[in-house]
Amino acid sequence: MNTLVQELKQLIIDSLDLEDIGPDDIDPQAPLFGAGLGLDSIDALELGVAIQKRFHIKLDNDPAATRQHFQSVTSLARFIESKAK
Amino acid sequence: MKTGQRNTSKVHDDVAIFSAGTLDRATFWNRVHGLKNVIQGHSGRRWALLCEDSSWFAAGFMALANCRRLIVLPQSSLAGAVGKDHEFDLILSDHPENYPGLHCINIQATGTIADGMACFPDDDVRVEFHTSGSTGSPKCVPKAFAQLRNEVQTLENQWGASLGQAVIISTVPHHHLYGLLFRVLWPLLSGRPFLASVCLHPDGLRNLPVQLPKIIVSSPAFLSRIDNFSELPPAAEVAAVFSSGAPLPDETAMKFVKIWGRSVTEVYGSTETGGIAWRAASVDGKRRPWRAFSGVELDLRQEPSGDRLWVKSPCTWQSGWMATGDLARIHADGGLELLGRSDDVIKIADKRVSLGEIRIQLAAHTMVADARLVLVAGRRSIIGAVVILNASGQSLLKSSGKKAVCDALRAWLRERYEPVMIPKKWRFVDAFPGTDMGKIENQRMLQLFT
Repeated sequence: MNTLVQELKQLIIDSLDLEDIGPDDIDPQAPLFGAGLGLDSIDALELGVAIQKRFHIKLDNDPAATRQHFQSVTSLARFIESKAK
Repeated sequence: MKTGQRNTSKVHDDVAIFSAGTLDRATFWNRVHGLKNVIQGHSGRRWALLCEDSSWFAAGFMALANCRRLIVLPQSSLAGAVGKDHEFDLILSDHPENYPGLHCINIQATGTIADGMACFPDDDVRVEFHTSGSTGSPKCVPKAFAQLRNEVQTLENQWGASLGQAVIISTVPHHHLYGLLFRVLWPLLSGRPFLASVCLHPDGLRNLPVQLPKIIVSSPAFLSRIDNFSELPPAAEVAAVFSSGAPLPDETAMKFVKIWGRSVTEVYGSTETGGIAWRAASVDGKRRPWRAFSGVELDLRQEPSGDRLWVKSPCTWQSGWMATGDLARIHADGGLELLGRSDDVIKIADKRVSLGEIRIQLAAHTMVADARLVLVAGRRSIIGAVVILNASGQSLLKSSGKKAVCDALRAWLRERYEPVMIPKKWRFVDAFPGTDMGKIENQRMLQLFT
């Protein structure tokens, strides 16, 4: 789980071309969208694509579920682990 | 020149006013005739006219134009910029020491010929203006003398009668179109005297050696910096205040009406198009739509970012319809409303975003002195912010780092704008990259993000 969290943090930074921010600056519990990292709807699409590519998983078509999975780095990690099983 | 009903037909004895003394009309034209004699002794066709004093500038202009020489007006009078960016054979200047190594004629050492008669140039004599182009090097905009005279005639028809006799005082340089028209050619051709030196501080607008009403020719940069209106001459002594170069901020327009008691007349146009329209706030400080000058036709053409304003007039540098850089709306009664620069409104995530509007919000943050936004194109286009921090911003940057400052500014913008409209990349600078004329160059701004 911990390595997955680290990997996700780096994936977010790389795929979204985030500046001035390192993996340690991302709080795994903090919201990715809105206040926390301040990602936007285009970031959500980009991140979704990056995750599908990296982990070879399919995202649900259910917006409510997706929103929940993309809540924070921790929730994303949990979601990816559940898909991998 | 044709004038209105009132007495501008009464030509003032003086062409120019100095802090001490004046230059009368006969002496001015004697100078022009003396200069013509010198100019005809040189075969060079392209002459850069670089004078600090407007009376010498006006004499040089008239003499060169009468000799059918091409007048080059460089974007800046700095020696480095002049030699590098402009094509000319000779320089005519009242400060030849500023241009070492270049072929320069000292305009003050040319002598006079006692003729005393005014002489005006042919219609097709050319003047080359230079504005800061989008590529970073000055853009050359040629105009014919007939076009300049046409613009002066339009101004006199519009305001001449109501202004009457007055002295022109200016805070803008005379080598750009607005300054050349308002500060030199309109006064010269309508028989009003002008102050020979540029006025760089509101203090300079007081205590002039003439007892005439004043016409102040200025810009938003100058007018919006006036805090203490007691530095200005009393409104009763002023016939008009003109502003051009950019729209006057609402706050400034309101202040002039409310505190000083007179509205500022704004002129909208560009070097390429010439004058397009004018407006003045009403007596209660409310903004009114722009009105096109007579002879100017307006049209809107739809673009993805909105309706772009096109103009057609005898004063545009290319004939036919010309695109402006502005988005606009035209009211049923012909009133014109400007909605921002067309290149300022971008589309990001299918949303129309006005960079100008977000910039204003960003610049209003307590840590920000000034800010500019650019669209950084790429596989995914993003908004980049270039910010000049004030002292409190600087101190946070020093103590807590770039991320802390970015987070604070992002949070501030998020209160008002959707996440896609928040700048993704941030650059903190001491000054915006640009020209010495104070124009900021988009291209050099973008380089900060590559």
